[in-house]
Amino acid sequence: MTQLISERELPSAAAEPRTDAGGDIVKMSARGVNVYYGDVHAIQDVSLEISKDEVTALIGPSGCGKSTLLRCFNRMNDDIVGCRVTGDIRLDGEPIADSEMDVVELRARVGMVFQKPYPFPKSIVENVAYGQRIHGLAKKGAELDAVVENSLRGAGLWDEVRDRLDSPANSLSGGQQQRLCIARALAVNPEVILMDEPCSALDPIATAKVEELIDELRGEYAIAIVTHNLQQAARVSQKTAFFHMGELIEFGSTSEIFTNPKIQKTNDYITGRYG
Amino acid sequence: MTRTFDPVIRELRDMLLQMGSRSEAIIEKSFRALEKRDRKLADEVITDDLEIDRLDVEIDSAILQALALNAPVAGDLREVFGIKMIATDLERVGDLARNIAKSARRSAERTPLATPPTLEEMARSAIDQLRRALDAYARSDVEAARAVLDDDDRVDAQEDEIIVQELTEIANDSEVAPQAVDLILVAKNLERVADHATNIAEDVILIAEARNIKHASKLGAVS
Repeated sequence: MTQLISERELPSAAAEPRTDAGGDIVKMSARGVNVYYGDVHAIQDVSLEISKDEVTALIGPSGCGKSTLLRCFNRMNDDIVGCRVTGDIRLDGEPIADSEMDVVELRARVGMVFQKPYPFPKSIVENVAYGQRIHGLAKKGAELDAVVENSLRGAGLWDEVRDRLDSPANSLSGGQQQRLCIARALAVNPEVILMDEPCSALDPIATAKVEELIDELRGEYAIAIVTHNLQQAARVSQKTAFFHMGELIEFGSTSEIFTNPKIQKTNDYITGRYG
Repeated sequence: MTRTFDPVIRELRDMLLQMGSRSEAIIEKSFRALEKRDRKLADEVITDDLEIDRLDVEIDSAILQALALNAPVAGDLREVFGIKMIATDLERVGDLARNIAKSARRSAERTPLATPPTLEEMARSAIDQLRRALDAYARSDVEAARAVLDDDDRVDAQEDEIIVQELTEIANDSEVAPQAVDLILVAKNLERVADHATNIAEDVILIAEARNIKHASKLGAVS
């Protein structure tokens, strides 16, 4: 695939963190982003910001481009044949498509959690330690044990698995497996966590635990979550972006979007009039 | 496209409008009972109020169900919230009518004291305010709701006038004090009816425009 990032003049990496209109520190930004799958124009001139210490929810009907945009933030679309991305996406003011930006390092800084939990066919402890190894952060002994414990604690799973760390990861329940995947993402010290419908395969109790976890994690990470569950978006996020047919229709504070959306299309979607 | 929520909100609106028309009627009836010194009519008000209370309980239950099963958002949520607020106001209007009916019953047993023309005007104004606020809700008419808010001062002025008049009556002849006090109480109750009409008008604006203008002048003065 080709990754094209426009060469228009861009501010140099800011020494001071950039803030958005509401004064929140911008962690990642997308400016004029377009994504094409062959001839299909999947994302059209989208600009939005993901702020630090906040959860940004991306909502919209199936095929609206929200997952495609999410994948732009850690260049997961690089791996899709025929996919072309243009525009400017930055992490802490640095263009992520810059030749100096190592994509492996980018994905360590911008972790991802998928719809279905895919633990590796290894033990619980190996799943969490895996990222440390592939990113060359591998530590041994007590240091690695501490990373594993902190990550599992961070994912709210430690108390449930501490006595069976060597058990196969696939022996865990679906909800536990998803939290294990979150622990695996946390183990490489990310700054941003992207979540693509992380609860869609989980039951309500497991969903509640993951949502609680998202709320705890937002104090330390910038989080972007794609969800079809509007109530989940309302519960877990501080900002919401509504997409329709590849366009960003409305982006604002979640409380505004869910009580008084400014655009009729947003209102119609969230009140179930179409979508 | 018909949503599963559409019949739910329609039913809530119907129940509220039914409660509204009963509230208008009960206030009219209570004032008529006072004017005509009609004990039977006053007793009917007490019974009619029970029906308003029953509708209030029904609306509460339907709202809880709508929130639990439909999780409304945006305009839908504002309307459900607004319906709850308006129902509470209408339930209070029923209570105020009951108070007026009690005054009517007492008056019927005493030497008559002429109903002051200002009180009749005030009753017409308060009932008119309530009717217009409910019409504004039924038609989602924000301009009509604003007009209700603009007229609130008139009822307040009428209440002040009646208090002065009745205090003068008492000063002139202390024998009429019980009747005069009841007329003041009726004026107070009518003034409260107009206040509830104002609240309803504010809810219409909240539902339509997502702007909460309650206590705006007081809060604006503080901030």
